[in-house]
Amino acid sequence: MPDICRKGFASTRMSLYLILLLVFPFLGFIGLFSFRKRANNWAGYIGIALTLMGLGGSLVMFNQALNQSQVYLVEWFSMNGKPIMLSFLVDNQTLMMLVVVHLVAVLVQLFSISYLHDEPARWRYFAFLQLFVFSMLGIVLAGSLLLMYVFWELVGLSSYLLIGFWYERPRAVWAAKKAFLLNRIGDAGFLIGILLVFWQFGTTELSVLTHQNGIISEDSSILFTVIGVCLFCGAIGKSAQFPLSDWLPDAMEGPTPVSALIHAATMVAAGIFLLGRIHPFLTPDALIVVAIIGTITMFLGAYKAIFQTDIKKLLAYSTVSQLGLMVMGMGVGAKEAALFHLLTHAFFKAGLFLCAGIIIHAVHTQDTRQMGGLRQKMPVTFWAYTICAAALAGLPFFSGFLSKDAILIGAFEWAKHTGGIAFVIPVVGLISAGLTAFYVIRQWKQVFFGENQGGYRHEQIVHDADSFMKVPVILLAILSFFIWFSFNPADAAHGWFFCIFPVEAAERGHGMVEILSVLVVAIGLLGGFYSTAMGPLPSLITLLQGIHDVIEKLFVSLFGKIRNGLKWLNEHADETDRHVFLIAPLQKIAYWTYRMDRRMIDVMVNGVGYVTVIGAHAIGRFDKLVVDGAVNALAWLAGFVGNRIRNLQNGRVQSYFVVMLLGVLLMILLFF
Amino acid sequence: MIPHLLSFLTFHPLVGSVVIALLPNSQKEAFKWIAVFFCACQVVVSAVVYYFFSTQTADFQMVEKADWITLSMGSLGTVSIDFILGVDGISLPLIMLSSVVMMVGVFSSFSIAKREKAYYSLYLLLTTSIMGCFLALDFFLFFLFFEFMLLPMYFLIGLWGGPRREYASIKFFLYTLVGSLLILIVMIGLYISVIDPYESELAKTMVHTFDLRLMTDGRNYLPDSILTPSGEITLLGVPSRMLAFWLLFIGFAIKLPIVPLHTWLPDAHVEAPTPVSVVLAGVLLKIGGYGLLRIAYPIFPDAAAEYAFTLAILGVISIVYGGFNALAQNDLKKMIAYSSVSHMGFVVLGIASLTAEGLNGAVYQMVSHGILSSLLFLLVGVLYDRTHNRLIDNYRGLISYMPLYTIITGITFFASLGLPGFSGFIGELFTLMGGFQSDRLPVWLTALGTLGIILAAAYFLWTFQRMFFGKPWAKNPTELPFLSDLNRLEKWMLIPLVLMSFALGIFPGWLFSLSDKTVSHLLKIFE
Repeated sequence: MPDICRKGFASTRMSLYLILLLVFPFLGFIGLFSFRKRANNWAGYIGIALTLMGLGGSLVMFNQALNQSQVYLVEWFSMNGKPIMLSFLVDNQTLMMLVVVHLVAVLVQLFSISYLHDEPARWRYFAFLQLFVFSMLGIVLAGSLLLMYVFWELVGLSSYLLIGFWYERPRAVWAAKKAFLLNRIGDAGFLIGILLVFWQFGTTELSVLTHQNGIISEDSSILFTVIGVCLFCGAIGKSAQFPLSDWLPDAMEGPTPVSALIHAATMVAAGIFLLGRIHPFLTPDALIVVAIIGTITMFLGAYKAIFQTDIKKLLAYSTVSQLGLMVMGMGVGAKEAALFHLLTHAFFKAGLFLCAGIIIHAVHTQDTRQMGGLRQKMPVTFWAYTICAAALAGLPFFSGFLSKDAILIGAFEWAKHTGGIAFVIPVVGLISAGLTAFYVIRQWKQVFFGENQGGYRHEQIVHDADSFMKVPVILLAILSFFIWFSFNPADAAHGWFFCIFPVEAAERGHGMVEILSVLVVAIGLLGGFYSTAMGPLPSLITLLQGIHDVIEKLFVSLFGKIRNGLKWLNEHADETDRHVFLIAPLQKIAYWTYRMDRRMIDVMVNGVGYVTVIGAHAIGRFDKLVVDGAVNALAWLAGFVGNRIRNLQNGRVQSYFVVMLLGVLLMILLFF
Repeated sequence: MIPHLLSFLTFHPLVGSVVIALLPNSQKEAFKWIAVFFCACQVVVSAVVYYFFSTQTADFQMVEKADWITLSMGSLGTVSIDFILGVDGISLPLIMLSSVVMMVGVFSSFSIAKREKAYYSLYLLLTTSIMGCFLALDFFLFFLFFEFMLLPMYFLIGLWGGPRREYASIKFFLYTLVGSLLILIVMIGLYISVIDPYESELAKTMVHTFDLRLMTDGRNYLPDSILTPSGEITLLGVPSRMLAFWLLFIGFAIKLPIVPLHTWLPDAHVEAPTPVSVVLAGVLLKIGGYGLLRIAYPIFPDAAAEYAFTLAILGVISIVYGGFNALAQNDLKKMIAYSSVSHMGFVVLGIASLTAEGLNGAVYQMVSHGILSSLLFLLVGVLYDRTHNRLIDNYRGLISYMPLYTIITGITFFASLGLPGFSGFIGELFTLMGGFQSDRLPVWLTALGTLGIILAAAYFLWTFQRMFFGKPWAKNPTELPFLSDLNRLEKWMLIPLVLMSFALGIFPGWLFSLSDKTVSHLLKIFE
């Protein structure tokens, strides 16, 4: 790793590029948002122009800054004598992501111009896309965990806004909220991790953490593992890992190009990006957690994808599964391979989503069971879809094959190193690869082959889209070939990617693993291709479906009650969700705390009030009867005595004389 | 420097109050403009104070001192009550906050349509007592202002409030009065323990004082007095200083408010008219936090350090408990009231951490919450003014009728739930950071506090989803024609506050630079 060069902010031309990269999309957002409806006709072009400029800038940066890590610092403020810095880090990982984000964003915006051509609020759509680009670039460029968290949340916001773009649809808004909330749960963990890092090291700057504090990776104390797992929580949320993965399929309520950009290529990859950043200081224990979570996600995603009949949902589950694969790759130490898969996946999955967008646009349904026979009607889409799907399935000669196998090789090597039960992880990886091939080819067949199943009327003209939509798809399909990444279709070890992300492990290109994976994929493909053809015959899929149903039923009967009470996350869910475990208690607690507030604390307060009032009344009574009574009694007594005594002073001399005589007698008696 | 600047800042609204009270009712239209004038004046004067304020020192600045009451008590010494005003890095941000909030509150009062004379007169009276509270450096003077706030508040809620206003105002009044009583006890205890060494020297007798600055110095305590720092005097088996600290703490905790002393807050908010809610949440709650920082902590640092853990637990309970309660609400205003409880919990957590990050964060969070809660209550007021209804379940899809209102509500909700770029995030971040940095608090406790940011996202977004999105619908369709978007006055109230929250979120250093020196100075006594 080359030495990190730390620079003040204003010193280089590079920092100018950096600022411009962030400023353009932000101004785009503000501008488009403030022009509102007036911007409708040119919003898309403005967006594309801005992103193209960014793409140009990032290509220039790629050219100039490759293989040199640079940190740009600017002081934000200082507290108690300690400066708090904003830092930006530009290294190879940054540069790669810059290009990916810009490229996909340009293509998606191009696609959107046509896809949303009769949407009345296009200005809002493109404004939000610019906000997304801004915040995503922020994550990519951030040089400290704290700054990354800032943009991390902003990405969550733009995702919220875009999923809920059609705000009149209750399900869309619900999905947006759900996405934000599940992300927030992960982010809270991430924040704890960041604050723990700050507490331990006094800084969250990545360059300092990964370089000077090599101690972290050596010292595998519990605390560092906890820190690592907390930071990983951020990735669990953003990259839709188990157990927070449920938001991603629901996020498909957003416009399809958004799904392509945010929920396939870039935002969900932020978690992988984060893992790439913090990888050097994750402890072995933390890495095992990462690997396990990744494996579970990968398998569950692939497994659930099998049952999907919604064209976008299947792709969403497939994305979950592929993200799981990348996370697993990070966990087993194949960081570079995981980043490589991030890159290839971004292109082919965005391509698949855009193809799905074209299909939905044409046939007006998302249910693959109602499609069929689209091959002749939409040849361009068909071929683009085929190529991207082949890359997803991991067929040789396509990009996905290179990257997926790089991860699997890494996993097998790691398992060999660790030994024993660790082999579960790569084996599950292989199985998931097989499942991937299985569901991909099933969908491919359902959509493009056979006859129209009633999703579109025959008289309806179903044809390929216009070139706004075709060009991005074709480009993404072309980028899904192996040739862009390595001249050797079987091995990427000598491709440019592993030149700029050098891998230490010398043993590369294990023929065995590749043969195995090709074999598994072939089985998956065959199974998938024939599972629909077999028709009523009890095939693997129906068997699985049966098991699945039983589990679901059991689940519902066990937790149905909680689910009904859980209005605020489940109100629009149409499948049983695992998140009842996480969220159900919250609703209950909220209910109980409020009851406590009203029934206990307030009752107590009011009780004190009542007691005081009653006491006051009692005292009042006492006051009136006893105290006042005593006073009155005294007054009465005084009057009474006065009345009696008045008789003494009756003005008659005789009685005075008698009294005087009595007095004298009394004195004589007393004193003598 | 302008002489008597702080006195002017404090007392000039009183002039306005008297002027309004003296004007005949036929001049009705003038009342609100007089109030606007005096509040604007206050904004300007607090800006002048800011201009003359130096961030390079931790001392009190612009101090004004005058003898007020001096009474010779023979062998018992001399009573000396002084009129002392001064400003430092903790009070300055709160002064600026209150002047802004009071100003916004006046504009929002324009919808008040009965007994305007009494209303504006009391409002300006409230302004004076709030400022006095933040500026007083003499405990007696502070207490006087602190008590005096109750009077206008009681009437403002009790006369202009909603249907259950009498219950709410009495509850508010009694709760706070109990708090003041506890503070009063400690004040007397402190008073008999502390002497002014300089004056005593001059007068050759013990001159007891209420000067808060003298109370922070252990040398000024009489050796055998009840609250002497060295003494082991106990009351009911508890060291007297610990007891005094807790009494003070409870007194301010009621104001803050801290669970379980918070139940006056939802009721008071629900019944209070919009501007009073704004002032209550925006400014009055801050006096609790300010009291801790100005009185309880500097005077009883030993107790504060010893009970840091307990206080932090109370803070975290407030955060989580308030959050859960907010989630359970159907009344928009109540939801926001509980969110205030949750957000003020961060203030307690930050203060309890006894770190620079935590204390600066607490001051910051107070300012940030002041802005955001004002915004939130103003936004409720916008809806309530139109329909006299604010139940969350009664509305769907408000965005179709009130797009700008929805946008501003959206921004405010996101700012309140701690979206980076707005002030709420920085406040929560630094109080939590303080919690983690503190060697007095365990890590798990602060980690539990982050549950608050998840809950905040849950209750704000759920509300947002239910009320603003979907197909436009109202439970009572006759309300729909009244749902017009923001008018000009409302825009002028809301947008500046949004911009303030944004500016503070981007440049938090500005606020931190004000409080930093004072906080570092305060922390020195804990080392």
